Amino acid sequence: MNYVIAIVLGVFFGFSLNKAGLTKYNKIVNVFRLNDMAVLKFMMTALVVAMIGLYGLRGLGLVAFPAVPTTYVVGNIVGGLIFGVGMALAGY
Amino acid sequence: MKWLINQIRKEEWSPYAAGILLGIVGILTVVLSQNLLGASGGFENLAAYIGKAIDPKNMYFNYVMPAAITFPVVLLVGVFFGGMLGALSSGTFKFRSMDDEQWKQTIGKQPWKRWLLLFIGAIILEYAAGIAGGCTSGLAISGGMLLVPAAFLFIVGMFASGIVTALIVYGKKY
Repeated sequence: MNYVIAIVLGVFFGFSLNKAGLTKYNKIVNVFRLNDMAVLKFMMTALVVAMIGLYGLRGLGLVAFPAVPTTYVVGNIVGGLIFGVGMALAGY
Repeated sequence: MKWLINQIRKEEWSPYAAGILLGIVGILTVVLSQNLLGASGGFENLAAYIGKAIDPKNMYFNYVMPAAITFPVVLLVGVFFGGMLGALSSGTFKFRSMDDEQWKQTIGKQPWKRWLLLFIGAIILEYAAGIAGGCTSGLAISGGMLLVPAAFLFIVGMFASGIVTALIVYGKKY
């Protein structure tokens, strides 16, 4: 059952990425060239919608958060720094 | 109804509209499955099968990213079909050799250059995602929507080095 949910969620996830144009090389690279902010608009809209929804639902006691990604400052920043190189090179 | 079908058929939505859809998917993931959206973790789970075959006692592939068909692996299958569905709905579905107009104009027409840099870039991506604990979707978006500090540190690092790399790759054409 969990697998069915995962597939369906994945389909919508992939669909939204495709429609936002994130499957295109130039969209991803142009956000780093600072001349097309579509990726940021997409990411931040998703963040805001999900933040409001999730914290609202938790406030109402309807949902418990799963294990959140752990914070280890140096690892997160170093990982992010290397990740950016790969992202700007590959464009995906 | 007709309006809705026409909207779905559009090749590219407003990023705000697509963002709202992703936000709702993010909420539903937590509510329905007690999991988070993510991409890199699934690849690591799959790579663990090879990793364990080479080094059965490897700590990382035994404990951190075990070889199993986990939620992110199944999610990846869905993402594949979701992306395909998106392309089919707008009639832009086609097989291509990873070509891109902007890439051809700046770096060159030879496909092998694109494939080589894409391959290297992807290795760097996955390695870095392993260090940071997630990728753009698994850490930046899923972590960000739970207000996890790690997500915002990751976004800072990603943009800092991404801009520098784009500067180097594009040089004068930046």
